[in-house]
Amino acid sequence: MDWHILAQQLVNGLTLGSIYGLIAIGYTMVYGIVGMINFAHGDVYMVSAYLTAICLAVLFSFGIDSLPFALLATLATTMLITAAYGWTIERVAYRPLRGAPRLAPLISAIGMSLVLQNGVQLSQGAKTQGVPSLIPATLRFGEGDDFVQITLVQLLIVVVSLTSMAALTWLIQRTSLGRQCRATQQDRRMAAILGINTDRIISTVFVIGAAMAAIAGVLVTLNYGSFDFYIGFVTGIKAFTAAVLGGIGSLPGAMLGGLILGLSEALFSGMVNTDYKDVFAFSLLVLVLIFRPTGLLGKPEVEKV
Amino acid sequence: MNQPSFSRCLLAMALASGLSLSSLANAQDTIKIGVAGPMTGGYATFGEQFWRGASQAAEDINAAGGVDGKQIELVKGDDACEPKQAVAVANRLLDQDKVAAVVGHFCSSSTIPASEVYADAGVLMITPGSTNPQVTERGLPTVFRMCGRDDQQGPLAADFIVNELKAKKIAVVHDKDTYGQGIADAMRARLKELNADDRVVLYEGLTRGEKDFNALVTKIKAADADTVYFGGLYNEAGPLLRQLREQGLKVNFLSGDGSLDPAIVTTAGGPQFVEGAYMTSVREARNIASSQDVVKKMKEAGFDPAGFTLYAYAALEAIAASMNGAKTGDGMKLAEWLKAHTVPTVLGPKTWDAKGDLNETSFSLFVWGPDGNYTEMQK
Amino acid sequence: MPSTAASPAANTVRWNRVFRQAVLEAAAAFALALLLLGPIVGLVLDGYQVKNELQRPLLIAAIIAIGRFLVTLAVHTPTGQVALDRFNARRRQPGVLVVSVSESGRQRWWLLAIIALGLTLPFLASKYWLTVLIQAMIYVLLGLGLNIVVGLAGLLDLGYVAFYAVGAYGLALGAQYLDLGFWSALPLAALLAALFGGLLGFPVLRMHGDYLAIVTLGFGEIIRLVLNNWLEFTGGPNGVAAPAPQLFGLEFTRAARDGGIPFHEYFQISYDPLHRFVFIYLVLFLIVCLMVVVVTRLRDMPVGRAWEALREDEIACRALGINHVLVKLSAFMMGATVGGIAGVFFATYQGFINPMSFNFFESALIVAIVVLGGLGSTTGVIVAAVVLTILPELLRAFADYRVFTFGVLMVLMMIWRPRGLMRPRRRAFEVKGLCP
Repeated sequence: MDWHILAQQLVNGLTLGSIYGLIAIGYTMVYGIVGMINFAHGDVYMVSAYLTAICLAVLFSFGIDSLPFALLATLATTMLITAAYGWTIERVAYRPLRGAPRLAPLISAIGMSLVLQNGVQLSQGAKTQGVPSLIPATLRFGEGDDFVQITLVQLLIVVVSLTSMAALTWLIQRTSLGRQCRATQQDRRMAAILGINTDRIISTVFVIGAAMAAIAGVLVTLNYGSFDFYIGFVTGIKAFTAAVLGGIGSLPGAMLGGLILGLSEALFSGMVNTDYKDVFAFSLLVLVLIFRPTGLLGKPEVEKV
Repeated sequence: MNQPSFSRCLLAMALASGLSLSSLANAQDTIKIGVAGPMTGGYATFGEQFWRGASQAAEDINAAGGVDGKQIELVKGDDACEPKQAVAVANRLLDQDKVAAVVGHFCSSSTIPASEVYADAGVLMITPGSTNPQVTERGLPTVFRMCGRDDQQGPLAADFIVNELKAKKIAVVHDKDTYGQGIADAMRARLKELNADDRVVLYEGLTRGEKDFNALVTKIKAADADTVYFGGLYNEAGPLLRQLREQGLKVNFLSGDGSLDPAIVTTAGGPQFVEGAYMTSVREARNIASSQDVVKKMKEAGFDPAGFTLYAYAALEAIAASMNGAKTGDGMKLAEWLKAHTVPTVLGPKTWDAKGDLNETSFSLFVWGPDGNYTEMQK
Repeated sequence: MPSTAASPAANTVRWNRVFRQAVLEAAAAFALALLLLGPIVGLVLDGYQVKNELQRPLLIAAIIAIGRFLVTLAVHTPTGQVALDRFNARRRQPGVLVVSVSESGRQRWWLLAIIALGLTLPFLASKYWLTVLIQAMIYVLLGLGLNIVVGLAGLLDLGYVAFYAVGAYGLALGAQYLDLGFWSALPLAALLAALFGGLLGFPVLRMHGDYLAIVTLGFGEIIRLVLNNWLEFTGGPNGVAAPAPQLFGLEFTRAARDGGIPFHEYFQISYDPLHRFVFIYLVLFLIVCLMVVVVTRLRDMPVGRAWEALREDEIACRALGINHVLVKLSAFMMGATVGGIAGVFFATYQGFINPMSFNFFESALIVAIVVLGGLGSTTGVIVAAVVLTILPELLRAFADYRVFTFGVLMVLMMIWRPRGLMRPRRRAFEVKGLCP
């Protein structure tokens, strides 16, 4: 394989992996704090993709030509509304189930996921939707036909996801809110006794996760230009796999898992076969978990009697 | 202790609804005809085309006096392009709505299991859009098609690739679905006949619902292909085209009728990405002389009869014609009548062979222009 | 709240407060609903433009606000208070109901009645409802199988559909390549599914809780993807035909296909596709009854007790010398076997299968059946399976809103009964023949 093809596949994999990582954050944070798989998270990301297209269309219809302004306004609006979705879902479908058996919120989440998917389908139609290609700029390295290229949007995806990861890690490790989050994660009852409003902390985590999904939604929509009401499921499963691969509950783990998954998918379909790339991705997960049962960066569980 | 009462209540409910519903449908003044297809889900566009086309046909036939003096009443059946739902819907149409014939289904993977149900009950079924050969190849007597077959559509593309484009390296991509892989394989089979199969440098499937095909595109680039053939629907064809162009590949792009939809411009991110793509499809029904009146009427009603709309219209016409001709509601007799007669339809006169396939191929080639519209290529 | 004893003046003050609170809450709900639904429901994408449909979110938000207002008011009335308390009390019911032996005997009459009803039902129902009943029975079987794994052994399996697929493809491919009929494929497919269960179970049983869940999910996807991609063997997305069952060599088809004699010709009656479904239903019903007996017996046997003990406290069990790998593996394989049998019935009932029927949503639905049924309760699983299959069919009246309503009901049912519809029952130990 030529170097430029290999390098191109690495670029493809990095982009894809960063997206998985961004969405995986939502899964991993929620899991860390309430111990449930939030199956509706992928659909929150899907909602944000629709919001992106709607915002852009509305802004353009008002004749706003400044692209940076339009993009920033879209990002802000999408994050706000998607965060509201995260908050509402927690409030409506999960909070009433606090203290219920562990599987109850899981089923409620699957129900919520159906509601979001079909709600969007009912109101927006089943058609695949899209946004026009807005930022055609690309960076090319190499000469003639042997070149590696990265579009500006792809670069943006990688940079933004690494930055948000760093910012979140700082938030969790260094701020008071982060300490409260970690305390709630460790022992919810003890945290409550110590005066932490655990319900508020859990809501905050859902809001943060949804906002990250919104960032992913905006970037993905700009990059691929098309989406439908089903992308939440397709991407959600992969992102969740990434979160588990990296060690669920661990923020750097989510990013690492996402990157490994993205890279392995790109390289496998590039070198071997596209048909079986998902089989490879899931087999990788099974293999990693057999040898490291709590994921790559997850803390080993200490069994307490 | 509320569980026995609860389950008893349920059983009673099931029983009651089963009984009441089966006693409902015995009205004699109308003939019920089912229209089945993906009315919800990712392919709902096509379901809507079926419904609109059939509804218009029913309206026109009823206005002209109906079938044998009876009015046609359409019943909608939604299969969402899932085989499991297709079987359930087929049973429901037959059993509860007591339909005399069915226009449908759309996705070949739904049409095949559903057609077993119809054939088993001896009810006539005409699909306006399922092009997979297996639909009519299983020897079911009451199954008909209003459209061509993939093994006619694929070869058209193969001939064009070899004779006109003079492609040296061909990449074949499909979406692993009955339809998509079907036409890709039919295309390849024709390449073999043309001694051009060694020009296929890549043959792979992508997954429906995904949007990132960059790795595949890079692979196509590495294989140095000059032509890409895609068997699949516009949902995936759009992003694939865009990513091909974004990575700077100036390859020829061909696809089948599933991609020939105005929505591909949206999914690709603008007309600049689809410009120059070739697609095979059923003859553009809106351009046929015999369809002009209907097209005008539907456009005035606010619906552009694109894609399979007029095929659904024609399918209902054929059903009505056979009922008028054979003077019976028995599906087996209707099928015999259809195989023996020529039916004038909105798409021109049609005849069927013993399998239930149309006797003429009706595929042609389209090319996308720079403005996001496609035109039929003249031969 | 001591509202009944309060003076009229105090009552008015209280009601003013309640009223103000209700208005505020309704306003907040209205604003939130508008924020959430405004763009998604109100601005419909059409190409690169949006169509303005803002009256829709306004209407929905208004309905939500009024609903919220009324609920807040209702909760503060004495009856509302009582209803709320009862609602909350029911949600907190303890897990298991212990029944004494004498009490459990009463159920037999119910059982007989239900079995008799189950046997006569196919002759009363129309073909459409019969197919719905068959589907319900298939889900009952799946629910019973998964209940062993999730409900009894406490292993969350999100890829149960894999075994279902193995069973279904076992019949279809067995018929295609090995010329197996329905009856020979039934045990073989069950065995094959058990083998797959063991194959998956062995490496992953070291994992805990949700890691196990995601690995099983991955396994389910792998099976589906392989079935989809291995064209030469499985026919890929084109699917394969599955044979119809035979009764001592009699076929339930219009014309003989697999070398037998059609049932209707043998008995000199006119052909009716209903015969096949009645036959499938009856066999399926008997298998379900058998399975209920097996599962009930297993629960009282040492292995069943071990499953449940392991679910409650793995460390204690291991300390007591229970071989946890073997016990878990037995649960896994047992569950897989039942799934495989369900798959065989699914294939023969459909007559045609393709990988689309075995996606993750199917797994999720089976898990929902088990959870809604009350994790471990056999009656609960049966009721939940019937509810969750008949519900979508009843919801067909809602046409396009069917799946949406189904999702809403799933959330509501979990909130209403987080521990499932039925409480698991356990027979009490009766110590006989011993001195007190």
